[in-house]
Amino acid sequence: MRLTQYVKFREEKFGGVLFETRSEKVFTLNPTATAVIREIASGDEATIATRLKDRFVDQGDAIEREVSAFIADLRQRGLIEG
Amino acid sequence: MSGPGAAESEDLAAPLYVAWQITNECNLACLHCIEESGPGKAFADELDRDQVFAVLDQLLDSEVPYLSFSGGEPMLHPHFFAMVERACERGAQLKIETNAHYLDPANAARLKALGVKAVQVSLDGASIATFGRMRVRGEFDRVLDGVRNLREAGVPIEINFSPASFNLHEVDAVVDLAYELGAYSFYTGRTMYTGNAVKAWRHLEVKEEQYVAFFDALRRKTEEYRGRMRVYFHEAGLLEELRYRIRHPAALLIVLPNGLVKLINALPFICGDFRRDSLEQIWARFRTAWHDPRVAGFVEDLATDPGKTRTLHQWVYL
Repeated sequence: MRLTQYVKFREEKFGGVLFETRSEKVFTLNPTATAVIREIASGDEATIATRLKDRFVDQGDAIEREVSAFIADLRQRGLIEG
Repeated sequence: MSGPGAAESEDLAAPLYVAWQITNECNLACLHCIEESGPGKAFADELDRDQVFAVLDQLLDSEVPYLSFSGGEPMLHPHFFAMVERACERGAQLKIETNAHYLDPANAARLKALGVKAVQVSLDGASIATFGRMRVRGEFDRVLDGVRNLREAGVPIEINFSPASFNLHEVDAVVDLAYELGAYSFYTGRTMYTGNAVKAWRHLEVKEEQYVAFFDALRRKTEEYRGRMRVYFHEAGLLEELRYRIRHPAALLIVLPNGLVKLINALPFICGDFRRDSLEQIWARFRTAWHDPRVAGFVEDLATDPGKTRTLHQWVYL
């Protein structure tokens, strides 16, 4: 799993931004979403949730559900592939 | 994650997009040129090689994700390919905005090898007659060859069209031509009354009722090419656009060939100078400059005097 060819990511104080440079659309990311994007280059969906659980206080399976939904959203928008 | 365009420039550590006019020199002398570019029109004080790379490295060090090189004709810049190489090898997404006259097979292949994101070509007509009237000294067939060379090399292509009274009737044909040439995007909007267009306005001016038909045609073309080529058109007038920008400045710097930085292309305000200021200083000034009452004053003056855009080259330093 990786960001698609024309997507750039930059961390910011508030979290981060994804910039889809073909459509010139910018997406702002909160800290959790930023952490997911940071992890995307180095792991699969399951391990991302595990690693995030180590960093954020989880309530039930909330992180896993949110990560799955977020990744599905990224795919649907064409921001990630693989 | 929030939607597109939600990032406000005030919240960002650096610009997201830098549009850099790397030279004012051009092989053409287009009727509508905002920059008044042309043969022999390079600024006397354009940045030298060391200055150019110092600016570029600052942008890349600050992770500016998206750059464009335009002009004038950017491929006439003496260090054009070295700049492209530096930007691409350090991971920026780079768009080249060109008139395509120098896109021979070797140069197109070189741009592909260096990894440019896209090349945007200006094509202001679907025939030699209309193209040649707008693009003085331009060669229609050479542009088509240049775009075909891009396609052959595998470089993503964008086509830009500037409307005028004498080429409006070709809008359907030029969208079709862009698709046939392999473009993935087509851009157009309203031609601005500034730069060379001030002197040529009687030839260029598009009446409001003509624009209505023009944008209707573009809506039809958007549907026709949906899923195959994106047709983008900016229907809003300048005043509406600038009023919006005052409330929501885009995270975009416009860099002139001499290193001066404009607030936005459609205003005369200068908010920095790369020969003297760091990117951090310029970005800080850019964000406060949008609150300067002179900016809002200029925009509101346009409501009563739309022709004030003729003064955009009389720079005002903030």
